[in-house]
Amino acid sequence: MTAFMQPDTAVIVRQRLLENAQDVDALFVLAALNARDGLVAEGITVLDHVLMLDPAYPGAWRFKATLHRMRGENEAGQSAWDRAEDLEP
Amino acid sequence: MSAPPPVRMKICMAGEATVGKTSLIRRSVLDEYDDRYIATLGTKITKKVMSVQDPKGAGLLAVHAILWDIMGTPTLRDLLKEAYYHGAEGIFAVADHTRKETLAALDAWARSIRSVAGDIPTLGMVNKQDLDPDPRFAAGEIEAFFEKRGWPWLYTSAKTGERVEDVFRSLGSAILSRAGVA
Repeated sequence: MTAFMQPDTAVIVRQRLLENAQDVDALFVLAALNARDGLVAEGITVLDHVLMLDPAYPGAWRFKATLHRMRGENEAGQSAWDRAEDLEP
Repeated sequence: MSAPPPVRMKICMAGEATVGKTSLIRRSVLDEYDDRYIATLGTKITKKVMSVQDPKGAGLLAVHAILWDIMGTPTLRDLLKEAYYHGAEGIFAVADHTRKETLAALDAWARSIRSVAGDIPTLGMVNKQDLDPDPRFAAGEIEAFFEKRGWPWLYTSAKTGERVEDVFRSLGSAILSRAGVA
């Protein structure tokens, strides 16, 4: 039996961004990969770009709230959460 | 008298990559199937309009299920759980009939969702029933897994459409019952 290989998310993200540097799905996941790897500030920067391209991107405002709270930026986190509540009550 | 407005409910598709979450939604909403695999990045939101039996009455209720098709990347699951699972009212826990490990992985997915959304109705799907099962499954193992957790479940096939509509209506009905909408 051939072993099943899980798709490598980072590789897929890179491929999608090579095809289209403004791919919001790939950018959103890139923000998450950055944060997972400890690059939270970089993650927020990428996420801000996502929200500039699509201010209603699903889950993006709540994720921004999560990242700000990880950095101890509670006011920015609450502000992002409030935006999410307006979009996805 | 006008009909009541449709009931909206947020449902999350959970499970490992390539178990067929996107294909199940595509089959259910568009009645289409495509063999090509395109990995979901982030999430895709699809609205499914359906009629669900009123658990408290004889009639049907209009339901707009907002389906969150979430990428099956375990290493990002907890980081993104607030972003994706906030407000979820039901879970489809999807495993792959041809890969045994996708069944046990459902515990971590359900735990992550429930840590945000609470003890919400969960329905298991063992997808790709049209293919030969993973021979590593012991007899009765799948039944025992779901029974232990108290999750109703069904074999499904996004390819043939088998039982796909049943699972959507079943979870919709469970959510309505829990919410006391009906």
